[in-house]
Amino acid sequence: MPDETSNSVGARTPWQVTRSVWYAMFMREAVSRTMANRMGWFWMIFEPVAFTTIMVAIRGFIRGDRFIVNAEYIPWLITGLMGFFLIREGMLRGLGAINGNSALFAYRQVQPVDPVLVRNVLEGLLRSFVFLLFIAGALMLGTDLLPDNGIRALGWWFSLWTLGLGLGLITSVAGTLVPEVGTVIRMINMPLLILSGVIFPLNNLPHWLLEYLLYNPIVHGLELMRAAFFEGYQVVNGTSATYFWLFTLSTLTIGLLMHLRFREKLKVK
Amino acid sequence: MIEINGLYKRYHLQRRVYDWVLEDINLTIPQGVSVGLLGRNGAGKSTLLRLIAGMDTPDRGTIHRHCRVSWPIGLAGGFQGSMTGRQNVKFVARVHGGRGDVHEIIERVQAFAELGDAFDEPIKTYSSGMRARLNFGLSLAFDFDIYLSDEATSVGDRAFKAKATQAFKEKVGEASLVMVSHSEGILKDLCDSGIYLKDGHATWYDDIDDAIAVYHEETDAARAASGSAEPAATPADSPPVTPLREAQSLDDARAQLREVKAEFDTARAEFERAQRDDDMAPRERQTYGDAFRASRERLHDARRQVQALQKGEE
Repeated sequence: MPDETSNSVGARTPWQVTRSVWYAMFMREAVSRTMANRMGWFWMIFEPVAFTTIMVAIRGFIRGDRFIVNAEYIPWLITGLMGFFLIREGMLRGLGAINGNSALFAYRQVQPVDPVLVRNVLEGLLRSFVFLLFIAGALMLGTDLLPDNGIRALGWWFSLWTLGLGLGLITSVAGTLVPEVGTVIRMINMPLLILSGVIFPLNNLPHWLLEYLLYNPIVHGLELMRAAFFEGYQVVNGTSATYFWLFTLSTLTIGLLMHLRFREKLKVK
Repeated sequence: MIEINGLYKRYHLQRRVYDWVLEDINLTIPQGVSVGLLGRNGAGKSTLLRLIAGMDTPDRGTIHRHCRVSWPIGLAGGFQGSMTGRQNVKFVARVHGGRGDVHEIIERVQAFAELGDAFDEPIKTYSSGMRARLNFGLSLAFDFDIYLSDEATSVGDRAFKAKATQAFKEKVGEASLVMVSHSEGILKDLCDSGIYLKDGHATWYDDIDDAIAVYHEETDAARAASGSAEPAATPADSPPVTPLREAQSLDDARAQLREVKAEFDTARAEFERAQRDDDMAPRERQTYGDAFRASRERLHDARRQVQALQKGEE
């Protein structure tokens, strides 16, 4: 809705203002994310590599990798980890986004929602880049990590990012207003990794347990992305794209509404 | 032009609601008129400035800005501590839509702020004066119609104050100023009109001198009230400095300086000994301190006398 009062001579339209804020913020975040930290680039790539290696080692030890239908274990694990990290980072980056940029709210053009959006976009781009590196690296090592259905894989990759964004919008408001929320979210990270079927396939779990686990939308998203990667992959029974998208759109809506409702409080914080 | 209609503002903090900071403010700040905001500490000057800048929203009422208004230029905020001065300037330039001429803006800011190498250091290493210089230079790089200043010039050194005042004077005609300051010299220098804030209410004065006069009335009344309740204690604390005798010639003055210097040395030695002595009562220690300060005064006076006489002879 255009604001009549701001449209006097020489003033920019709200959309122009928003665009320049996003541009400025993106450049700023990109620099601080990749350059400010010593070896920032190295860790961005090495952290998932190390994590995958450790997980593969543990799994090789337990020897449970024969139960996945039509998919090799390592590519299966990598797709799951990448997808999960994408959502987790979306959630965690949102937490610090507002406090980290509070000094910039001195300029009335900058709104609390801007750093959250920009950080998530940047995170999505970086994670996509890392994933591409992984695919290329795996191909060179002789492991087939190329998706069998590229378009669908891309689509679900984007969908997972959207869920991360929705959760990030909510956590950014809740975590800034109530700092304890941040602690809780960091705490549930690890159990969520296991409960989302990233490391262990959920197929062998008893039905009564699975019924509860399927309330977690991350399971749906990850399974559907894997189905796009591996032709003939058997998704967990009860996986539903509709449920995933309903959940994602709800989080997006709630997140944006929270940002509207608490805008002034977030600025003052 | 800025129109403020029926503005109310108060702060909320964790379910506590505080008293109104600003109550029923109705003002119109015309184009091209520079205004000084006056009032005692806590009268709501900075709050009003933040509201005008759009950093905060009023609880009731509206503010219409019909022109380009700057952010409040001052000490607090506006910079990201972990980023360098240059990165911050870049950010602000981009936010304000200067995509093409970011480099030009950076150069202008760099030239004005005179930070040298510190321009590429993180802001958190800056002193408050350096921050103020950068913030001030940054705001001048954009063509705002109205600049908001919250004690922007108060921390700078004399050269910077003069430069800042000069910069604002050059902008007269193209831009105006809404400023909070406790320095009346600057207010009189730069402002035409005044707004006086008291108990949440604002009064407009067409002439800044009238606003300053009202402000003085209030502060004088407050000082008188607190002065009568508490008898003046400060002058009695330090003993009067024995004045030097008038030196007849340069040699006389030099002899006197030597004398005073010897006195000063003994006073200092005694004072230092008193400082080390833990058994001494604070009251006793204070007398040594007073003696030390008094003899230091005398020493300075004696030096000045010698210098004055030397200059006279040359």
